[in-house]
Amino acid sequence: MDLASQLPMLLGLAWLAPLVSFVAILFFGPRMGHHGKNAAWVATAAIVTSLGLSLAAFGTWLTVHPVTAVSHDSHGAAVVGHAAESHDAHEPGADGHESHGTGADAGHGDHADHGGQHAAVVPVAYSGDWYTLYQGGSLRLSIGWYIDALTVMMFVVVTFIATCIHVYASGYMHDELHDVTDHEVHLSDGGHLHRPGRFPRFFQALSLFCFSMLGILIAGNLAMVFIFWELVGICSWFLIGFYFERKSASTAANKAFIVNRVGDFGMLIGLMALWGALGTLHFADSPAAGPAGQTSPGLFSLVRPAESGHALQVPDGMVKFANASEVSRIAVENASRPGDGANEIASRIRDWRSQGYGRWLLFIAGVGIFCGCVGKSAQFPLFVWLPDAMEGPTPVSALVHSATMVAAGVYLVGRFYPVLTPDVLLVIAVIGGITLFIAATIALVANDIKRVLAYSTVSQLGYMMLALGVGGWSAGLFHLVTHAFFKSLLFLCSGSVIHACHTNDMRKMGGLARVMPWTAGTMLVGCLAIIGAGIPFVIGLSGYYSKDAILAQALSYSQVNPSWSILFYAVAGGAFLTAFYMFRLWFMTFAGTPRDHHIADHAHESPNVMVVPLVALSVLAIVAGWTLPGGFGLANLLEQARPAGTAATMSDSFLFGNLTVPAEHLSHEGAIHVTATLTAFTTAAAGVLLAAMMYLWRIISPEMVASVFRPIYSFLANRWYFDELYNAIFVRPVFAVASLASGTDRGVIDRLIDGIAWSARQLAGFDAWIDRNLVDGLVNATATATWNAGLELKKLQTGRLRQYVMFIVIGTVALFVLASMLFRAALAS
Amino acid sequence: MIASLLASAVPMSGLLAALPVAAVNWHSVLFLLFAAVACACAVAVVLADNVVRMAFYLVLSLAATAGLFFLAGAEFVGAMQLMIYVGGTLVLLVFGVMLTAQAPFVAIKTSTGDRVLAGMVGAALLAVLLQAAFRVEPWRRPAMAAVAAPAATPIGMALLGVRVDEPVSGAPPAAVRSGYLLPFEIVSVHLLVVLVGAAYLARAKRRRTPRAIDVAASSVGPVVTAREAARSSASALVSGGQR
Amino acid sequence: MNLLSAGLPSTAIPLFAGLLDAPVGVAHYLVVGAILFTSGVVCMALKRNALGVLMGIELVLNGANVNFVAFSSPYLRGEGAASLGLDGQLIALFVILLAAAEAAVALAITLNFYNNHATVDIDQADDLKG
Repeated sequence: MDLASQLPMLLGLAWLAPLVSFVAILFFGPRMGHHGKNAAWVATAAIVTSLGLSLAAFGTWLTVHPVTAVSHDSHGAAVVGHAAESHDAHEPGADGHESHGTGADAGHGDHADHGGQHAAVVPVAYSGDWYTLYQGGSLRLSIGWYIDALTVMMFVVVTFIATCIHVYASGYMHDELHDVTDHEVHLSDGGHLHRPGRFPRFFQALSLFCFSMLGILIAGNLAMVFIFWELVGICSWFLIGFYFERKSASTAANKAFIVNRVGDFGMLIGLMALWGALGTLHFADSPAAGPAGQTSPGLFSLVRPAESGHALQVPDGMVKFANASEVSRIAVENASRPGDGANEIASRIRDWRSQGYGRWLLFIAGVGIFCGCVGKSAQFPLFVWLPDAMEGPTPVSALVHSATMVAAGVYLVGRFYPVLTPDVLLVIAVIGGITLFIAATIALVANDIKRVLAYSTVSQLGYMMLALGVGGWSAGLFHLVTHAFFKSLLFLCSGSVIHACHTNDMRKMGGLARVMPWTAGTMLVGCLAIIGAGIPFVIGLSGYYSKDAILAQALSYSQVNPSWSILFYAVAGGAFLTAFYMFRLWFMTFAGTPRDHHIADHAHESPNVMVVPLVALSVLAIVAGWTLPGGFGLANLLEQARPAGTAATMSDSFLFGNLTVPAEHLSHEGAIHVTATLTAFTTAAAGVLLAAMMYLWRIISPEMVASVFRPIYSFLANRWYFDELYNAIFVRPVFAVASLASGTDRGVIDRLIDGIAWSARQLAGFDAWIDRNLVDGLVNATATATWNAGLELKKLQTGRLRQYVMFIVIGTVALFVLASMLFRAALAS
Repeated sequence: MIASLLASAVPMSGLLAALPVAAVNWHSVLFLLFAAVACACAVAVVLADNVVRMAFYLVLSLAATAGLFFLAGAEFVGAMQLMIYVGGTLVLLVFGVMLTAQAPFVAIKTSTGDRVLAGMVGAALLAVLLQAAFRVEPWRRPAMAAVAAPAATPIGMALLGVRVDEPVSGAPPAAVRSGYLLPFEIVSVHLLVVLVGAAYLARAKRRRTPRAIDVAASSVGPVVTAREAARSSASALVSGGQR
Repeated sequence: MNLLSAGLPSTAIPLFAGLLDAPVGVAHYLVVGAILFTSGVVCMALKRNALGVLMGIELVLNGANVNFVAFSSPYLRGEGAASLGLDGQLIALFVILLAAAEAAVALAITLNFYNNHATVDIDQADDLKG
């Protein structure tokens, strides 16, 4: 069986396994063991199955496309294959480099020497559709896949972390196995809420989340991404609001979902731009509905066509869309000869493109899709939901809000990278930089351990976005993977600490390293990983490599775009801040003397079921960045998935002046690489040193610093007043509108209705009066009159014969007189 | 016919001739005579209070009417009038009068108001009838003199269903008037029925209680008390008496 | 016979004036009949004695008979006037017969009434009062 059919099957099954678990727990959860205890095993079994299948897929991939050392001038060449058909596809590169393959066993691993020129190389990617929901013309909505090295790698990462967290959660959530007294919910009578446990429900939501996340990873078209995007959002809502009786938790869940939806609005605009102008949402080419052999181009082929060496250009569809009036004019002119019309349009497209038609559309498409990522990955200005999302249980924070869901935004930017123009990339980088900075500063002064980690997550996501924006496709995604490992590790450790101390407040902790050695050790590993610790130029933890790559690319970018060199300084400053607040966290929690003896006395190490995942993740946090001698490593694996054309330098001049996005491999060259490494090391060391001075050795007092910089301190402690700002700008007006509407409804509409009802009642009363007095009166009067007439007429019948005779005679006389008068008149006329 | 006979055979024709009216129409004279008697007696019937006298006046009136019939040429009808009406019906009436002519019932007066009202109504009716009588011009004077033509035979034949008198004027020459056989038969049955009915109605009834009339007769008084007595006796009779 | 009411036409006076020598027509008989009829009606309306009412009935019927006979007579007619002919006399005959029958029955009723109520005053016969 060839890879083209094997991979979809393996990864498809891996994708669906959590869905099976979800359905099973949905229907039978409470019955799985005592209080649903076995629901955790069902979910874990499902995710382990997914992990196994993902590893199998990974292994299969490696056998066909082994990861080799990526030198600066060789790339794996491959062919785009279709699951259903097998055919040859040849994409000649600009410099004649050849890539080919057959259908039966997809081509693999031809190393071509490009001599320094990194021409268009098409990565190995398999795409296809499982099920077409709707097909109208060229427009097709379908459930399908796009599998390349990135997909396989993300599958392994996500399923592995999810497995660790499932295991961790089965221990962490043991409180839900019996009735729970929630001390944070205050009832109206003053007592605390007493409710039954919800153990199976947690794993049900967790399974659904895994299914949705894997759906995003495997999606072959943007519509499917959007579907699962929303699904992930709703799972996040379920999980954040797990303790929904707490007002803070339910509010936080709503906040997360609503803020995400704001981002999705922009995403829809982007989707519309693409759909309207290009008519397709698929990433890769797909078989067209028509004569066999034709392919309907996907987004990547449209924006980076093979003919121009996979360089980014505004696609024909967008050019025509932007110049629609001219196009229709030509079509109308050549109405009788449509062939001529099409030819003329085709010949004019190049001119139009050079005139700049369609650039705006491409820009909007890119920025629109990025808006969804802003919401999902908690970038500025939509990051306010992520810290509040810590209301959910710690495993949720670890899985959803550090490693996976928030990574979905970065993943989509990475996946959508070929379509992004330099201007869009600059927007992404700037947003990422702002986010990075804001979040890092807030984390400096936060006292809730999970809040620090949450803001750290936001900051690191800013890092990734910035990396992608400055052209570091590989660097950004590399950091995504390593961050997933060490951030989830950090969250699980913090969960362990919270479990032991029953508090989130770091000011009450201290000196816990003695009682919780495993937690302290693994957390130290996590902290070192996040700051990018390592021996420069020799070896380092996973974060060292990814941070290094980002710094290098940022430096490279700022060198060719001097006006944007702030980006490099933002990264460097961020590295300093990150190191500071992470070690502040570690020192406050584990080092020194306990600040609250009551807590310190009762603290204890977590059970094994919680410690083992910590250890597993810490191992990965250490080794994830290493590249084995044969070349096997994360970085090289990513290079296999680099989209066609993105290895080259891009330059453009549209909205923000001349921009050049340097090729990523240039940042690996000597000068930049050295500078970046040294910068990373010095900033991280400085941050650790300052943190140690303030929180370990107590040379500088944090309170004194806070009082000296009181205004800055309070500004940061209040989280830059973002919540208050949004409350004033958005929430209050909405409430005002709502109260206006409700006031109108009550005062105007209800009054109107009541008035109508009142008048109807009055009318009814009036009608009743009429009916009673007039109508009935009339009827009764008629009856009475008839009765009285009868009574009077009765008197005629006296029983007296003589009277009757008299009446007869009188009547006869009268009749005769009358008749004679009539006859007289008739005869006279 | 009779008029001519009388006119020709009256020995007093000379006397009459001596009267100032030389060519007197005896038909008219006799008519006037009979008419005057009939009308006067009819009015007398109305005006009389005594029922016996009323009966007598009625007899005279109807007899005079028979004379009128003779003068009009309907001698059979006149004869029947005398025989059946005067001789039968009125005799019956007189019998009834005799049977009920007890003292208090012989002359029952009506109130004056009733009399005035009846008089007015009668006058109005008379006016209407007289006016109608004089309207039609051809009725004022006859076209032919009286001729003696016995009417008995044609009547008898008509009663048997055969019409031998003149045909219907204006009708086709062969059209004759219809016979009266059927009415004749019906009337005979009718008379039989009347005979049986009257006999039944007037039969002698067995009385367990004395007759109300005998009880009331013992307390003869004004008409008012007799009425009350009659009422009480009638109710006693109805409740107690059985047939 | 001073029955000259206001409604009589003026030709009535010469009619009666020349009666002694002028022949009698239908109209004269009709006058007699009218008088008989009216008397009978007034008698019916006036008399409280039941037998008086019966007499009134007889008078009415006789008045009608006189009319019928007058209409049937061929001698009393003017020119061009239609005559009942024999029908008139036959009708008069039947009227007499029916009058006889009716008188018998009426008398029987009256006698029954007299036996039950001990009076012939028809004003006492108001049991059917409404």
